[in-house]
Amino acid sequence: MDDFEQELRRALERRLAPLSLKRKVMERRRWRRMQLHGHAALWQRLAASLLLVAVLGGAWKWRQAEEERRRGEAAREQVLTALRITSHALDEVNSRLAAHDRAGQE
Amino acid sequence: MSRNWQPEFEKLVDEHQSMVFSLALRMTGDRGLAEEIAQDVFLELDRHLNKIESPAHACFWLRRVAMSRSADALRKRRVRGVDLWVEIDENHGAQAEEHASPLGARLEQLLATLPEPQRAALVLRYQEDLTPEEIAATLEQPVATVKSHLQRGLKLLRAKAASHLREFIRPGKRIGGSLSDG
Repeated sequence: MDDFEQELRRALERRLAPLSLKRKVMERRRWRRMQLHGHAALWQRLAASLLLVAVLGGAWKWRQAEEERRRGEAAREQVLTALRITSHALDEVNSRLAAHDRAGQE
Repeated sequence: MSRNWQPEFEKLVDEHQSMVFSLALRMTGDRGLAEEIAQDVFLELDRHLNKIESPAHACFWLRRVAMSRSADALRKRRVRGVDLWVEIDENHGAQAEEHASPLGARLEQLLATLPEPQRAALVLRYQEDLTPEEIAATLEQPVATVKSHLQRGLKLLRAKAASHLREFIRPGKRIGGSLSDG
């Protein structure tokens, strides 16, 4: 390295940063973090709301399905009861006819 | 690299603020803009802090981003049509008072008139004492290109110094004995 380059090196020594630089950096950093935190809280609230809506929707859907199933079950029970009554009536008619036939033969 | 090292943001700002500010200042020639660039560089460091692996990596990263942000700022100014060279010259004139040596101040002024790639290479070489290989890694350029910028930049600066700094040449001894050498 010749003298010119040595002189250039001396001319290009690092300059002291302004005293305010670090303070401004730290302030902007704090501000950015607060904003990020604010955004994160907003997203968290949004996610929690969506979750709540999904849970309520699911519960409502489940309740609808349960109601439907309960009604189906009741209808099935009614049909079975009707079939039992019909069967019982038919048995009654059948036994009366059989008794009538027996009386006719005697 | 060891991941035992945990970067402390405030400490990194303390250690490297002069380096980042000086790089931006010498590339843009504007104290206000250099301070803004330095702030942006450190805030970007904060965003990428988890990727910094060692003190040397932090230093390399800061140099690279400072040079890149300074180049972006110069590009934006050119797009806006600001006469950069006149502005740099004026700003450096204002900064000349900060220099202890008038010759140093004039050399810095002349450096500001060099084309940007040559100025970048010279600033990293003589302010940061980097080798051409390290400059190439910092500027993401081939080593041959960096060497060429260094040679041409130095040659141009010597020529400018020879014609502008005659008052500093003592009889029988040129500045450093090689002011007008190629």
